[in-house]
Amino acid sequence: MPRYLRLLTIFWKNTLVSELEYRLNFWSNIGLSLFWLIWAALSVRVYFLHAERIAGWNYDELLIVMGLFFAMNGYRQMVLEPNLSRISEYVRLGTLDYVLTKPINSQFLVSLRHIGVYNWGDPILGLGLVAYALWRLGHVPTVNQLLLFIVVILAGMVLLYSFSLILQTTTFWLINVERMDALVQGLLETGRFPVNFYRGWIQAALTIIIPVAFMTTFPAEALLGRLEAWLAAAAIGLAAILFVLASALWYFALRYYTGASS
Amino acid sequence: MRDLFRIYRALLQTAWARALEFRGQAGIWILSSIFPLVMMVVWLAIVDEAGPLIGWGRGDFISYYVGAALVHQLTFVWSVWQWDDDIRTGHLSVKLLKPLDPFHYLMTEQLGWKLFILVFLAPLVVVVAWLSPEISYSLTVEQFVAFALSVAAGFVLSMLMSSAFGVLGFWSTQVANLYSLWFGVGQFLSGWIAPLALFPAGIRQVAYMLPFRATMGFPMAILMGQLTRLEIGFGFAVTLGWCVVFLILYRILWRLGIRRYEAVGA
Repeated sequence: MPRYLRLLTIFWKNTLVSELEYRLNFWSNIGLSLFWLIWAALSVRVYFLHAERIAGWNYDELLIVMGLFFAMNGYRQMVLEPNLSRISEYVRLGTLDYVLTKPINSQFLVSLRHIGVYNWGDPILGLGLVAYALWRLGHVPTVNQLLLFIVVILAGMVLLYSFSLILQTTTFWLINVERMDALVQGLLETGRFPVNFYRGWIQAALTIIIPVAFMTTFPAEALLGRLEAWLAAAAIGLAAILFVLASALWYFALRYYTGASS
Repeated sequence: MRDLFRIYRALLQTAWARALEFRGQAGIWILSSIFPLVMMVVWLAIVDEAGPLIGWGRGDFISYYVGAALVHQLTFVWSVWQWDDDIRTGHLSVKLLKPLDPFHYLMTEQLGWKLFILVFLAPLVVVVAWLSPEISYSLTVEQFVAFALSVAAGFVLSMLMSSAFGVLGFWSTQVANLYSLWFGVGQFLSGWIAPLALFPAGIRQVAYMLPFRATMGFPMAILMGQLTRLEIGFGFAVTLGWCVVFLILYRILWRLGIRRYEAVGA
Protein backbone atom coordinates (compact mmCIF):
# COMPACT_ATOMS: atom_id res chain seq x y z
CA MET A 1 0.00 0.00 0.00
CA PRO A 2 2.69 2.58 0.90
CA ARG A 3 4.48 1.57 -2.30
CA TYR A 4 1.40 2.45 -4.33
CA LEU A 5 1.02 5.76 -2.54
CA ARG A 6 4.62 6.62 -3.32
CA LEU A 7 4.14 5.71 -6.98
CA LEU A 8 1.03 7.86 -7.11
CA THR A 9 2.94 10.86 -5.78
CA ILE A 10 5.65 10.36 -8.39
CA PHE A 11 3.18 9.96 -11.25
CA TRP A 12 1.15 13.01 -10.34
CA LYS A 13 4.12 15.21 -9.51
CA ASN A 14 5.57 14.44 -12.94
CA THR A 15 2.37 15.38 -14.71
CA LEU A 16 2.02 18.54 -12.64
CA VAL A 17 5.56 19.66 -13.47
CA SER A 18 5.11 19.17 -17.21
CA GLU A 19 1.64 20.72 -17.33
CA LEU A 20 2.73 23.76 -15.33
CA GLU A 21 5.13 24.56 -18.16
CA TYR A 22 2.12 25.98 -19.96
CA ARG A 23 1.40 28.80 -17.53
CA LEU A 24 -1.06 30.74 -19.67
CA ASN A 25 -3.14 27.67 -20.35
CA PHE A 26 -3.11 26.78 -16.69
CA TRP A 27 -4.47 30.12 -15.53
CA SER A 28 -6.82 30.69 -18.43
CA ASN A 29 -8.46 27.39 -17.58
CA ILE A 30 -9.47 28.53 -14.15
CA GLY A 31 -10.91 31.63 -15.81
CA LEU A 32 -12.89 29.33 -18.07
CA SER A 33 -14.06 27.23 -15.10
CA LEU A 34 -15.33 30.35 -13.38
CA PHE A 35 -17.12 31.40 -16.57
CA TRP A 36 -18.93 28.08 -16.86
CA LEU A 37 -19.89 28.15 -13.19
CA ILE A 38 -21.44 31.60 -13.51
CA TRP A 39 -23.05 30.53 -16.79
CA ALA A 40 -24.66 27.56 -15.05
CA ALA A 41 -25.84 29.64 -12.11
CA LEU A 42 -27.36 32.22 -14.47
CA SER A 43 -29.06 29.61 -16.63
CA VAL A 44 -30.71 28.18 -13.55
CA ARG A 45 -31.84 31.71 -12.69
CA VAL A 46 -33.78 31.77 -15.98
CA TYR A 47 -35.84 28.81 -14.79
CA PHE A 48 -36.70 30.58 -11.56
CA LEU A 49 -38.02 33.60 -13.42
CA HIS A 50 -41.12 31.49 -13.84
CA ALA A 51 -41.46 29.52 -10.62
CA GLU A 52 -40.54 29.69 -6.91
CA ARG A 53 -39.86 26.01 -6.42
CA ILE A 54 -39.36 23.20 -8.91
CA ALA A 55 -40.14 19.66 -7.74
CA GLY A 56 -39.59 20.80 -4.16
CA TRP A 57 -36.25 22.56 -4.73
CA ASN A 58 -35.70 26.31 -4.58
CA TYR A 59 -32.93 28.27 -6.32
CA ASP A 60 -30.31 28.07 -3.57
CA GLU A 61 -30.86 24.37 -2.99
CA LEU A 62 -30.49 23.84 -6.74
CA LEU A 63 -27.19 25.73 -6.60
CA ILE A 64 -25.91 23.09 -4.18
CA VAL A 65 -26.67 20.34 -6.70
CA MET A 66 -25.10 22.48 -9.41
CA GLY A 67 -21.94 23.01 -7.35
CA LEU A 68 -21.67 19.30 -6.64
CA PHE A 69 -22.11 18.60 -10.34
CA PHE A 70 -19.16 20.88 -11.06
CA ALA A 71 -17.06 19.17 -8.42
CA MET A 72 -17.92 15.70 -9.76
CA ASN A 73 -17.34 16.82 -13.34
CA GLY A 74 -13.98 18.25 -12.28
CA TYR A 75 -13.09 14.93 -10.64
CA ARG A 76 -14.13 13.17 -13.83
CA GLN A 77 -11.96 15.44 -16.00
CA MET A 78 -8.96 15.36 -13.68
CA VAL A 79 -8.83 11.71 -12.66
CA LEU A 80 -11.16 9.58 -14.76
CA GLU A 81 -10.91 10.96 -18.26
CA PRO A 82 -7.10 11.23 -18.64
CA ASN A 83 -6.73 7.64 -17.52
CA LEU A 84 -9.69 5.53 -18.52
CA SER A 85 -10.11 7.05 -21.97
CA ARG A 86 -6.63 5.77 -22.80
CA ILE A 87 -7.82 2.18 -22.45
CA SER A 88 -9.34 2.09 -25.93
CA GLU A 89 -6.09 3.53 -27.32
CA TYR A 90 -4.03 0.89 -25.51
CA VAL A 91 -6.23 -1.85 -26.92
CA ARG A 92 -6.22 -0.50 -30.47
CA LEU A 93 -2.50 0.17 -30.64
CA GLY A 94 -1.45 -2.83 -28.58
CA THR A 95 0.35 -0.61 -26.09
CA LEU A 96 -1.61 -2.32 -23.32
CA ASP A 97 1.32 -4.72 -23.25
CA TYR A 98 3.44 -1.96 -21.72
CA VAL A 99 0.92 -1.66 -18.92
CA LEU A 100 0.66 -5.39 -18.34
CA THR A 101 4.39 -6.05 -18.20
CA LYS A 102 4.91 -3.57 -15.38
CA PRO A 103 5.34 -5.13 -11.91
CA ILE A 104 2.35 -3.38 -10.41
CA ASN A 105 -1.39 -3.94 -10.51
CA SER A 106 -2.68 -3.15 -14.01
CA GLN A 107 -5.99 -1.73 -12.81
CA PHE A 108 -4.12 0.72 -10.57
CA LEU A 109 -1.86 1.77 -13.43
CA VAL A 110 -4.65 2.20 -15.93
CA SER A 111 -6.82 4.14 -13.46
CA LEU A 112 -4.45 6.49 -11.69
CA ARG A 113 -1.34 6.95 -13.83
CA HIS A 114 -2.29 10.33 -15.20
CA ILE A 115 -3.94 13.38 -13.78
CA GLY A 116 -5.42 16.28 -15.71
CA VAL A 117 -4.50 19.46 -13.94
CA TYR A 118 -6.32 21.80 -16.29
CA ASN A 119 -9.58 21.46 -14.47
CA TRP A 120 -8.21 21.93 -10.99
CA GLY A 121 -10.53 24.90 -10.62
CA ASP A 122 -13.72 22.90 -11.07
CA PRO A 123 -13.83 20.91 -7.81
CA ILE A 124 -12.72 23.94 -5.81
CA LEU A 125 -15.16 26.33 -7.47
CA GLY A 126 -17.93 23.74 -7.28
CA LEU A 127 -17.50 23.25 -3.55
CA GLY A 128 -17.21 27.01 -3.21
CA LEU A 129 -20.61 27.36 -4.86
CA VAL A 130 -22.02 24.79 -2.44
CA ALA A 131 -20.67 26.79 0.51
CA TYR A 132 -22.10 30.00 -0.95
CA ALA A 133 -25.51 28.43 -1.46
CA LEU A 134 -25.52 27.06 2.09
CA TRP A 135 -24.65 30.54 3.37
CA ARG A 136 -27.53 32.05 1.38
CA LEU A 137 -29.86 29.47 2.87
CA GLY A 138 -28.52 30.26 6.30
CA HIS A 139 -28.02 26.55 6.85
CA VAL A 140 -24.91 25.23 8.53
CA PRO A 141 -24.69 21.43 8.21
CA THR A 142 -24.36 19.55 11.49
CA VAL A 143 -21.47 17.15 12.01
CA ASN A 144 -23.81 14.25 11.28
CA GLN A 145 -24.93 15.80 8.03
CA LEU A 146 -21.35 16.51 7.00
CA LEU A 147 -20.32 12.92 7.70
CA LEU A 148 -23.28 11.61 5.73
CA PHE A 149 -22.34 13.97 2.92
CA ILE A 150 -18.73 12.76 2.83
CA VAL A 151 -19.82 9.12 2.83
CA VAL A 152 -22.29 9.61 0.00
CA ILE A 153 -20.03 11.77 -2.16
CA LEU A 154 -17.16 9.31 -1.80
CA ALA A 155 -19.55 6.53 -2.76
CA GLY A 156 -20.61 8.67 -5.72
CA MET A 157 -17.00 9.04 -6.83
CA VAL A 158 -16.43 5.29 -6.62
CA LEU A 159 -19.67 4.74 -8.55
CA LEU A 160 -18.60 7.12 -11.31
CA TYR A 161 -15.20 5.44 -11.51
CA SER A 162 -16.69 1.95 -11.66
CA PHE A 163 -19.27 2.93 -14.23
CA SER A 164 -16.63 4.61 -16.42
CA LEU A 165 -14.33 1.60 -16.12
CA ILE A 166 -17.11 -0.76 -17.19
CA LEU A 167 -17.92 1.38 -20.24
CA GLN A 168 -14.28 1.79 -21.20
CA THR A 169 -13.53 -1.91 -20.77
CA THR A 170 -16.18 -2.71 -23.37
CA THR A 171 -13.83 -1.14 -25.92
CA PHE A 172 -11.81 -4.36 -25.68
CA TRP A 173 -14.59 -5.79 -27.81
CA LEU A 174 -15.95 -2.69 -29.58
CA ILE A 175 -12.60 -1.65 -30.93
CA ASN A 176 -13.71 1.14 -33.23
CA VAL A 177 -15.32 3.24 -30.51
CA GLU A 178 -12.92 5.96 -29.40
CA ARG A 179 -14.63 8.54 -27.26
CA MET A 180 -16.54 6.50 -24.70
CA ASP A 181 -15.82 9.25 -22.21
CA ALA A 182 -18.19 11.46 -24.22
CA LEU A 183 -20.95 9.05 -23.21
CA VAL A 184 -19.94 9.18 -19.56
CA GLN A 185 -19.88 12.96 -19.75
CA GLY A 186 -23.33 13.04 -21.30
CA LEU A 187 -24.73 10.78 -18.60
CA LEU A 188 -23.18 12.86 -15.84
CA GLU A 189 -24.82 15.95 -17.38
CA THR A 190 -28.16 14.60 -16.16
CA GLY A 191 -26.74 15.16 -12.70
CA ARG A 192 -26.87 18.93 -13.13
CA PHE A 193 -30.36 18.83 -11.73
CA PRO A 194 -31.88 16.90 -8.84
CA VAL A 195 -33.11 13.48 -9.81
CA ASN A 196 -36.66 14.43 -8.73
CA PHE A 197 -36.92 16.62 -11.84
CA TYR A 198 -37.13 13.51 -13.96
CA ARG A 199 -40.26 11.45 -13.98
CA GLY A 200 -41.09 7.81 -13.45
CA TRP A 201 -38.82 5.35 -15.15
CA ILE A 202 -36.10 7.90 -15.93
CA GLN A 203 -35.82 8.81 -12.27
CA ALA A 204 -35.63 5.12 -11.35
CA ALA A 205 -33.02 4.45 -14.03
CA LEU A 206 -30.90 7.35 -12.83
CA THR A 207 -31.00 6.02 -9.28
CA ILE A 208 -30.49 2.31 -9.77
CA ILE A 209 -29.11 1.51 -13.20
CA ILE A 210 -26.89 4.52 -13.86
CA PRO A 211 -26.60 5.85 -10.31
CA VAL A 212 -26.20 9.54 -11.11
CA ALA A 213 -28.53 10.31 -8.20
CA PHE A 214 -25.81 9.25 -5.78
CA MET A 215 -23.33 11.63 -7.36
CA THR A 216 -25.09 14.97 -6.99
CA THR A 217 -28.65 14.74 -5.67
CA PHE A 218 -28.14 12.56 -2.59
CA PRO A 219 -25.00 14.34 -1.35
CA ALA A 220 -26.90 17.63 -1.67
CA GLU A 221 -29.78 16.19 0.31
CA ALA A 222 -27.33 14.96 2.92
CA LEU A 223 -26.00 18.49 3.38
CA LEU A 224 -29.53 19.83 3.69
CA GLY A 225 -30.38 17.21 6.27
CA ARG A 226 -32.96 15.63 4.00
CA LEU A 227 -31.24 12.31 3.38
CA GLU A 228 -32.51 9.22 5.11
CA ALA A 229 -29.69 7.27 6.72
CA TRP A 230 -30.47 4.01 4.93
CA LEU A 231 -29.75 5.68 1.60
CA ALA A 232 -26.21 6.36 2.77
CA ALA A 233 -25.82 2.68 3.60
CA ALA A 234 -27.29 1.84 0.19
CA ALA A 235 -24.72 4.18 -1.36
CA ILE A 236 -21.85 2.28 0.24
CA GLY A 237 -23.35 -1.04 -0.77
CA LEU A 238 -23.99 0.00 -4.36
CA ALA A 239 -20.50 1.48 -4.68
CA ALA A 240 -18.92 -1.71 -3.37
CA ILE A 241 -20.94 -3.92 -5.71
CA LEU A 242 -20.25 -1.80 -8.78
CA PHE A 243 -16.55 -1.56 -7.93
CA VAL A 244 -16.27 -5.33 -7.67
CA LEU A 245 -18.19 -5.73 -10.93
CA ALA A 246 -15.96 -3.23 -12.74
CA SER A 247 -12.77 -4.84 -11.47
CA ALA A 248 -14.04 -8.31 -12.39
CA LEU A 249 -14.88 -7.12 -15.89
CA TRP A 250 -11.41 -5.57 -16.21
CA TYR A 251 -9.66 -8.82 -15.32
CA PHE A 252 -11.98 -10.78 -17.56
CA ALA A 253 -11.15 -8.44 -20.45
CA LEU A 254 -7.44 -8.84 -19.75
CA ARG A 255 -7.73 -12.58 -20.12
CA TYR A 256 -9.54 -12.06 -23.39
CA TYR A 257 -6.85 -9.62 -24.58
CA THR A 258 -3.86 -11.75 -23.69
CA GLY A 259 -5.48 -14.66 -25.42
CA ALA A 260 -5.89 -12.66 -28.62
CA SER A 261 -2.29 -11.42 -28.86
CA SER A 262 -0.63 -14.78 -28.24
CA MET B 1 -17.16 26.82 -60.75
CA ARG B 2 -17.83 23.43 -62.32
CA ASP B 3 -14.43 22.30 -61.07
CA LEU B 4 -15.38 23.25 -57.54
CA PHE B 5 -18.57 21.24 -57.87
CA ARG B 6 -16.66 18.15 -58.98
CA ILE B 7 -14.09 18.61 -56.22
CA TYR B 8 -16.81 18.97 -53.60
CA ARG B 9 -18.51 15.85 -54.84
CA ALA B 10 -15.29 13.87 -54.52
CA LEU B 11 -14.47 15.28 -51.09
CA LEU B 12 -18.00 14.62 -49.90
CA GLN B 13 -17.76 11.01 -50.95
CA THR B 14 -14.65 10.66 -48.80
CA ALA B 15 -16.25 12.48 -45.88
CA TRP B 16 -19.39 10.32 -46.17
CA ALA B 17 -17.32 7.13 -46.23
CA ARG B 18 -15.43 8.30 -43.17
CA ALA B 19 -18.64 9.16 -41.36
CA LEU B 20 -20.01 5.69 -42.11
CA GLU B 21 -16.82 4.04 -40.98
CA PHE B 22 -16.94 5.81 -37.64
CA ARG B 23 -20.66 5.28 -37.11
CA GLY B 24 -20.00 3.81 -33.68
CA GLN B 25 -18.30 7.08 -32.85
CA ALA B 26 -21.26 9.02 -34.23
CA GLY B 27 -23.58 6.92 -32.12
CA ILE B 28 -21.69 7.88 -29.01
CA TRP B 29 -21.75 11.57 -29.95
CA ILE B 30 -25.50 11.49 -30.53
CA LEU B 31 -26.19 9.61 -27.32
CA SER B 32 -24.00 11.94 -25.32
CA SER B 33 -25.66 15.09 -26.60
CA ILE B 34 -28.73 14.56 -24.47
CA PHE B 35 -28.31 17.96 -22.86
CA PRO B 36 -31.25 19.55 -24.72
CA LEU B 37 -33.44 16.78 -23.40
CA VAL B 38 -32.19 17.42 -19.87
CA MET B 39 -33.25 21.05 -20.20
CA MET B 40 -36.55 19.94 -21.63
CA VAL B 41 -37.13 17.90 -18.48
CA VAL B 42 -36.50 20.96 -16.32
CA TRP B 43 -39.01 23.01 -18.29
CA LEU B 44 -41.58 20.24 -18.03
CA ALA B 45 -41.06 20.18 -14.29
CA ILE B 46 -41.60 23.96 -14.20
CA VAL B 47 -44.78 23.66 -16.27
CA ASP B 48 -46.01 20.98 -13.87
CA GLU B 49 -45.38 23.42 -11.06
CA ALA B 50 -46.51 26.75 -12.49
CA GLY B 51 -48.77 25.84 -15.39
CA PRO B 52 -48.24 26.91 -19.01
CA LEU B 53 -45.80 29.80 -19.45
CA ILE B 54 -46.89 32.49 -21.91
CA GLY B 55 -48.91 29.88 -23.72
CA TRP B 56 -46.07 27.35 -23.77
CA GLY B 57 -47.43 24.08 -22.41
CA ARG B 58 -45.94 20.58 -22.12
CA GLY B 59 -46.43 19.80 -25.78
CA ASP B 60 -44.72 23.01 -26.86
CA PHE B 61 -41.62 22.36 -24.77
CA ILE B 62 -41.34 18.77 -25.93
CA SER B 63 -41.78 19.80 -29.56
CA TYR B 64 -39.23 22.55 -29.14
CA TYR B 65 -36.47 20.52 -27.53
CA VAL B 66 -36.84 17.41 -29.67
CA GLY B 67 -36.55 19.62 -32.75
CA ALA B 68 -33.75 21.64 -31.14
CA ALA B 69 -31.72 18.49 -30.46
CA LEU B 70 -31.80 17.66 -34.18
CA VAL B 71 -31.17 21.25 -35.30
CA HIS B 72 -28.20 21.46 -32.95
CA GLN B 73 -26.68 18.32 -34.48
CA LEU B 74 -27.09 19.90 -37.89
CA THR B 75 -25.68 23.35 -37.11
CA PHE B 76 -22.96 22.66 -34.56
CA VAL B 77 -19.52 22.76 -36.08
CA TRP B 78 -16.27 21.77 -34.40
CA SER B 79 -13.83 23.09 -37.00
CA VAL B 80 -12.25 25.48 -34.54
CA TRP B 81 -10.52 22.59 -32.78
CA GLN B 82 -9.26 21.35 -36.14
CA TRP B 83 -7.82 24.78 -36.91
CA ASP B 84 -6.22 24.98 -33.48
CA ASP B 85 -4.63 21.55 -33.97
CA ASP B 86 -3.45 22.18 -37.51
CA ILE B 87 -1.80 25.49 -36.72
CA ARG B 88 -0.18 24.39 -33.49
CA THR B 89 1.16 21.08 -34.81
CA GLY B 90 2.17 22.53 -38.17
CA HIS B 91 -0.12 20.13 -39.99
CA LEU B 92 -1.48 23.20 -41.75
CA SER B 93 1.69 23.13 -43.88
CA VAL B 94 0.57 19.83 -45.37
CA LYS B 95 -2.82 21.30 -46.18
CA LEU B 96 -1.20 24.38 -47.72
CA LEU B 97 0.72 22.18 -50.15
CA LYS B 98 -2.57 21.04 -51.64
CA PRO B 99 -4.13 23.05 -54.45
CA LEU B 100 -7.31 23.70 -52.54
CA ASP B 101 -7.97 26.21 -49.79
CA PRO B 102 -8.01 24.34 -46.41
CA PHE B 103 -11.47 25.74 -45.76
CA HIS B 104 -12.94 23.31 -48.31
CA TYR B 105 -11.54 20.29 -46.48
CA LEU B 106 -13.02 21.43 -43.21
CA MET B 107 -16.31 22.27 -44.91
CA THR B 108 -16.69 18.89 -46.58
CA GLU B 109 -15.64 17.08 -43.41
CA GLN B 110 -18.48 18.76 -41.52
CA LEU B 111 -20.89 18.27 -44.43
CA GLY B 112 -20.11 14.55 -44.44
CA TRP B 113 -21.20 14.31 -40.81
CA LYS B 114 -24.27 16.44 -41.40
CA LEU B 115 -25.32 14.16 -44.26
CA PHE B 116 -24.85 11.22 -41.92
CA ILE B 117 -27.13 12.89 -39.37
CA LEU B 118 -29.70 13.66 -42.06
CA VAL B 119 -29.76 10.11 -43.31
CA PHE B 120 -29.74 8.30 -39.98
CA LEU B 121 -30.93 10.58 -37.21
CA ALA B 122 -33.46 12.85 -38.90
CA PRO B 123 -35.85 10.07 -39.96
CA LEU B 124 -35.74 8.74 -36.40
CA VAL B 125 -36.70 12.13 -35.02
CA VAL B 126 -39.45 12.47 -37.63
CA VAL B 127 -40.90 9.09 -36.66
CA VAL B 128 -40.75 9.94 -32.96
CA ALA B 129 -42.44 13.29 -33.62
CA TRP B 130 -45.11 11.66 -35.77
CA LEU B 131 -45.90 8.93 -33.24
CA SER B 132 -45.88 11.16 -30.18
CA PRO B 133 -49.21 12.86 -29.50
CA GLU B 134 -47.54 15.67 -27.58
CA ILE B 135 -45.28 16.78 -30.40
CA SER B 136 -46.84 18.86 -33.12
CA TYR B 137 -45.37 21.19 -35.69
CA SER B 138 -47.85 23.22 -37.70
CA LEU B 139 -46.03 23.22 -41.03
CA THR B 140 -46.99 24.35 -44.46
CA VAL B 141 -44.75 23.39 -47.35
CA GLU B 142 -43.54 26.98 -47.53
CA GLN B 143 -42.64 26.97 -43.84
CA PHE B 144 -40.81 23.66 -44.16
CA VAL B 145 -38.71 25.01 -47.01
CA ALA B 146 -37.95 28.10 -44.92
CA PHE B 147 -37.01 25.82 -42.03
CA ALA B 148 -34.65 23.72 -44.16
CA LEU B 149 -33.03 26.86 -45.57
CA SER B 150 -32.64 28.35 -42.10
CA VAL B 151 -30.89 25.21 -40.85
CA ALA B 152 -28.54 25.34 -43.83
CA ALA B 153 -27.90 29.03 -43.18
CA GLY B 154 -27.23 28.29 -39.51
CA PHE B 155 -24.70 25.66 -40.52
CA VAL B 156 -22.91 28.03 -42.90
CA LEU B 157 -22.79 30.77 -40.24
CA SER B 158 -21.39 28.27 -37.72
CA MET B 159 -18.70 27.27 -40.23
CA LEU B 160 -17.74 30.90 -40.81
CA MET B 161 -17.67 31.75 -37.11
CA SER B 162 -15.57 28.65 -36.42
CA SER B 163 -13.15 29.59 -39.16
CA ALA B 164 -12.85 33.23 -38.06
CA PHE B 165 -12.01 32.08 -34.55
CA GLY B 166 -9.86 29.26 -35.89
CA VAL B 167 -7.48 31.50 -37.80
CA LEU B 168 -6.91 33.50 -34.63
CA GLY B 169 -4.76 30.48 -33.86
CA PHE B 170 -2.02 32.15 -35.84
CA TRP B 171 -1.64 34.55 -32.92
CA SER B 172 -3.05 32.80 -29.87
CA THR B 173 -2.90 29.36 -28.29
CA GLN B 174 -6.15 30.01 -26.45
CA VAL B 175 -8.41 29.91 -29.48
CA ALA B 176 -10.37 26.84 -28.43
CA ASN B 177 -11.05 28.42 -25.04
CA LEU B 178 -12.04 31.71 -26.69
CA TYR B 179 -14.49 29.89 -28.89
CA SER B 180 -15.85 28.06 -25.86
CA LEU B 181 -16.59 31.40 -24.25
CA TRP B 182 -18.26 32.66 -27.43
CA PHE B 183 -20.28 29.48 -27.72
CA GLY B 184 -21.19 29.57 -24.04
CA VAL B 185 -22.59 33.09 -24.27
CA GLY B 186 -24.29 32.02 -27.47
CA GLN B 187 -26.09 29.20 -25.72
CA PHE B 188 -28.10 31.75 -23.78
CA LEU B 189 -28.88 33.87 -26.80
CA SER B 190 -29.56 31.12 -29.29
CA GLY B 191 -32.46 29.45 -27.57
CA TRP B 192 -30.64 26.54 -25.90
CA ILE B 193 -31.18 27.27 -22.23
CA ALA B 194 -34.66 28.57 -22.83
CA PRO B 195 -36.71 29.22 -25.94
CA LEU B 196 -36.13 32.87 -26.81
CA ALA B 197 -39.84 33.57 -26.42
CA LEU B 198 -39.42 33.06 -22.68
CA PHE B 199 -36.83 35.78 -22.21
CA PRO B 200 -37.74 39.32 -21.15
CA ALA B 201 -38.46 41.55 -24.16
CA GLY B 202 -35.22 43.54 -23.90
CA ILE B 203 -32.96 40.50 -24.00
CA ARG B 204 -35.06 39.00 -26.77
CA GLN B 205 -34.55 42.07 -28.97
CA VAL B 206 -30.78 41.83 -28.47
CA ALA B 207 -30.85 38.11 -29.26
CA TYR B 208 -32.69 38.76 -32.52
CA MET B 209 -29.80 40.95 -33.72
CA LEU B 210 -27.00 38.56 -32.80
CA PRO B 211 -25.66 35.66 -34.90
CA PHE B 212 -26.43 32.94 -32.32
CA ARG B 213 -30.13 32.77 -33.05
CA ALA B 214 -29.42 31.44 -36.53
CA THR B 215 -28.09 28.17 -35.15
CA MET B 216 -31.09 27.22 -33.04
CA GLY B 217 -33.75 29.74 -32.13
CA PHE B 218 -34.56 30.97 -35.63
CA PRO B 219 -35.02 27.54 -37.30
CA MET B 220 -37.01 26.37 -34.30
CA ALA B 221 -39.29 29.40 -34.37
CA ILE B 222 -40.05 28.66 -38.03
CA LEU B 223 -40.63 24.98 -37.27
CA MET B 224 -43.07 25.82 -34.50
CA GLY B 225 -44.95 28.08 -36.92
CA GLN B 226 -44.50 31.13 -34.72
CA LEU B 227 -43.14 33.57 -37.29
CA THR B 228 -44.86 35.71 -39.90
CA ARG B 229 -43.37 36.03 -43.39
CA LEU B 230 -41.91 39.39 -42.48
CA GLU B 231 -40.27 38.02 -39.38
CA ILE B 232 -38.81 35.09 -41.33
CA GLY B 233 -37.42 37.52 -43.89
CA PHE B 234 -35.92 39.62 -41.10
CA GLY B 235 -34.30 36.56 -39.56
CA PHE B 236 -32.71 35.54 -42.84
CA ALA B 237 -31.45 39.10 -43.38
CA VAL B 238 -29.75 39.10 -39.97
CA THR B 239 -28.21 35.67 -40.64
CA LEU B 240 -26.95 36.75 -44.05
CA GLY B 241 -25.52 39.94 -42.60
CA TRP B 242 -23.56 38.03 -39.98
CA CYS B 243 -22.37 35.54 -42.63
CA VAL B 244 -20.88 38.42 -44.58
CA VAL B 245 -19.29 39.89 -41.45
CA PHE B 246 -17.64 36.63 -40.44
CA LEU B 247 -16.62 35.79 -44.00
CA ILE B 248 -14.79 39.11 -44.30
CA LEU B 249 -13.28 38.73 -40.84
CA TYR B 250 -12.16 35.19 -41.64
CA ARG B 251 -10.56 36.07 -44.95
CA ILE B 252 -8.74 39.14 -43.61
CA LEU B 253 -7.38 37.25 -40.60
CA TRP B 254 -6.46 34.34 -42.88
CA ARG B 255 -4.42 36.58 -45.23
CA LEU B 256 -2.67 38.28 -42.31
CA GLY B 257 -2.08 35.05 -40.46
CA ILE B 258 -0.80 32.97 -43.34
CA ARG B 259 1.93 35.51 -44.05
CA ARG B 260 3.01 35.29 -40.45
CA TYR B 261 2.81 31.49 -40.45
CA GLU B 262 4.94 31.00 -43.53
CA ALA B 263 7.51 33.44 -42.23
CA VAL B 264 7.96 31.42 -39.06
CA GLY B 265 8.06 28.12 -40.99
CA ALA B 266 10.71 29.37 -43.42
